[in-house]
Amino acid sequence: MPVFSLNINNQSVSVDADADTPLLWVLRDSLELKGTKFGCGKSQCGACTVHLNGNAVRSCSLPVAAATKGKITTIEGLSRDGSHPLQKAWMELDVPQCGYCQAGQIMSAAALLSKKPHPTDSEIDTAMSGNLCRCGTYLRIRKAIHTAAGKEGKS
Amino acid sequence: MKKSLHNSNNVADTLGIEIGQFASQEIHRRSFLKLTGMTAVGMVIGIRTAVAAADEKIFEPNAFINIRSDGRIILFSKNPEIGQGIKTALPQLLAEELEVDWTQIEVQQGMLDARFGSQFAGGSTGIKTNFDQVRRAGAAAREMLVEAAARMWQVSLDVCYAHAGMVIRKDTQARLTYAELADRASRLPVRENPVLKDKKDFTIIGQPIPGVDNHQIVTGRVEFGLDARPKGMSVAVIERCPFFGGKVKRVDDAAALRVRGVEKVIIIEATKNPTQLVAGVAVVAKDTWSAMKGRKALVVEWEMPEGTVESDDALKQQFEKNIAGEGQVVREDGNVMEAFASCKKVHEATFEAPFLAHAPMEPQNYIADVQADKAELWGPTQVPGSVRARAAEITGLPPNKISVRMTRVGGGFGRRLMADYACEAIFLSKALSKPVQVVWTREDDVQHDFYRPAGLFRIKAGLDENNRLKAWHIKATTTSRYTFSGSSSPSYQTEVFPDGFPAGFVSHFKMEYTAASSLVPRGAWRAPGHNITAWIDQCFVDEMAHLAGKDPVDFRLELLGQEDKVMPYSDHGGPVYHTRRLKQVIRTAAEKSGWYQPAPKGVFRGFAAHFMFGAYIAEVVNVSIPDPQSVKVERVVAVADCGLVINRSNALNQLEGGIIDGLSSALNQAVHIDKGRAVSSNFDDYKLLRIKDAPIIDVHLIDSDENPEGMGEMTLPPLAAALSNAIFAATGKRIHKLPILPLERSST
Repeated sequence: MPVFSLNINNQSVSVDADADTPLLWVLRDSLELKGTKFGCGKSQCGACTVHLNGNAVRSCSLPVAAATKGKITTIEGLSRDGSHPLQKAWMELDVPQCGYCQAGQIMSAAALLSKKPHPTDSEIDTAMSGNLCRCGTYLRIRKAIHTAAGKEGKS
Repeated sequence: MKKSLHNSNNVADTLGIEIGQFASQEIHRRSFLKLTGMTAVGMVIGIRTAVAAADEKIFEPNAFINIRSDGRIILFSKNPEIGQGIKTALPQLLAEELEVDWTQIEVQQGMLDARFGSQFAGGSTGIKTNFDQVRRAGAAAREMLVEAAARMWQVSLDVCYAHAGMVIRKDTQARLTYAELADRASRLPVRENPVLKDKKDFTIIGQPIPGVDNHQIVTGRVEFGLDARPKGMSVAVIERCPFFGGKVKRVDDAAALRVRGVEKVIIIEATKNPTQLVAGVAVVAKDTWSAMKGRKALVVEWEMPEGTVESDDALKQQFEKNIAGEGQVVREDGNVMEAFASCKKVHEATFEAPFLAHAPMEPQNYIADVQADKAELWGPTQVPGSVRARAAEITGLPPNKISVRMTRVGGGFGRRLMADYACEAIFLSKALSKPVQVVWTREDDVQHDFYRPAGLFRIKAGLDENNRLKAWHIKATTTSRYTFSGSSSPSYQTEVFPDGFPAGFVSHFKMEYTAASSLVPRGAWRAPGHNITAWIDQCFVDEMAHLAGKDPVDFRLELLGQEDKVMPYSDHGGPVYHTRRLKQVIRTAAEKSGWYQPAPKGVFRGFAAHFMFGAYIAEVVNVSIPDPQSVKVERVVAVADCGLVINRSNALNQLEGGIIDGLSSALNQAVHIDKGRAVSSNFDDYKLLRIKDAPIIDVHLIDSDENPEGMGEMTLPPLAAALSNAIFAATGKRIHKLPILPLERSST
């Protein structure tokens, strides 16, 4: 089996996997990084969102062979201890219900804030519309992103 | 199922929730507790925490509480956590009565354990049925700790009181911590009838305490079923027969077995009971992706069941035939036929609702490790007792050799009241004698769900010369979920509600029901039955208000009458409901939404109100119509009377979530059936609402000291009606078919 070298959460790792294996399953099954979730397998729900070179990507649809040239960040690498402003805002506003989608939501939001530190509601909607929340916590997600961005206002 | 001794089990019975025959035989007996207490808790603790040091003293008056001499105070939540917040709310009840600060405790998920009584998540009953039992567990512990302190100080009980994890002596202000008292308290007899706190003294109940797993969730560390990894586990992905009720005819597994990582291919035969195993071919592999690839390489020939080929069209024909004929009369007041003859105005409409999938974010999965003399089971379920009952049947092991560990559950919505996917894991683990995790893809989930029943409803109603509602005749036909599961409950139950509004307020009222036959699997879907009946009833009340030339809110209040009444209600949430509380939420919603003031330009409003599961809800939906084919939901105002609120933050979260789900399903969702199988398959053709379409939501809770009711399901049912009524206000067209979008297909 081919061996792929990946940079995940600032660590170099090698994995044996078929080239078509989605990054999601390499993370979850080979590397035991299970914070990244399986939801749909076809980039419809965003539960599997990770960062590739700072951009939000759906790891369920990214073959491992296409992930070797860049830095991958997963929810486990977003902060050491839950101290990222988004993680703190998520806890403060008690966003989760079941919680299954929330790692993906936070990863999408983190990619947004790194590019737009003070997004408007409509910028949030655009950046976050690839992430489904079946429990319907969208209003708190919007508010938490504003809180993390350090302002309560909206567009 | 044996008649249960637990009141809470009876609730499950009335909801048609099978929580396991063993659970219903469990009797909470003190003698049993004393004999087995330590062993059972050793098992509960052993999984998650370090074993206590040898000199550690543990005060463990019941299954819920564990106070240790090292200072740890562990509270166990007994029910599955599916996102309803029970893992925070039940410990709030315990902590309140135990008199500890919230920061002093740690919360753990309890395992399936007879000492807890019934353990399931369904019918929004987690708080209402456990409110007293769980508080008593906390209060008993508190009283024993106070007694232990009083004995140490050799003073009377009334000199001592508990506060913040300590017992304090009033005269000297001397203090003993619970840790210091653990040893002595553990040697006292368990208090049988502790005195509960007065509601006015609550300091933890009612507080907006954030979810206990939040930190673990936002850091990606919380364990859902799909994240559990017992040593030596294989992963199974199953190609299920796409045709409901079909069989495996022939399998060519040569290519699948050549896929790297694939270990085995196993044929699964359907059980006679369609809620357990369906026919399929399992590909077992060393990891998930290998199993998925292996499944793709299978070549399977299927045998379709005999009889009518299931399709939307065939079902529609059956529905139409059913409502054209006479159904089972489930309620009859007065004489509708005679009344219609003397009505001034008569109006009729037919409503159509589709199958819905649950589609929780965490796809179905389950782990079983079946060994010769025991079995260990993990995974997301709403019914751990039912999982154990099925495991005992499949493995032949006695139930006390089967342990069931509850992981956090990535959404339930009623899907995980079924144990089918757990049966698959148990069956495969037994066949392979190793731990197996069954993993469903999203396509598996949408195509092999137990769908919200589909139905057709015809309502005819008449007004008298004063434009008051005089007669109401509803004929309903649905693919009853009880008919599907072979339940002994009548088919109409939880499909229609003979005591629901406006029944009891119309002199001439008749409700008929006919069950439609279908092989399409059905089950409980958030707010079962109500998720359709509130839509049709509250839409048609609106139509009659319009026909009467009356304001829809006034028309409802006029029907309910000036005088406050206690109405009989035979379904779950009864035995009665109070018109005072229903009128209060209606009036408050009108007030909070500015109903009697003109709507902003281009904005149109719709109203609906509903009683279910003991709770009262009224909603106002504001819409605009950006183009003739679409609708934009601008704002939703909801007023809820759910009795005493345990956790204000989670309550609002649940109620908002129900509204989003109501919008999601009403606007876009239907599972279509064609050629004997489900056509819909993933989130691209089974659409959930996205954040860009989420409106502003204002939820108002009525302050109440009444017993607490659930929060998880109540805001969903009236939403579709308030939305449909708002669309009528905007377009002049009535929505008679769900889903609403595109508008030209749903409105008449």
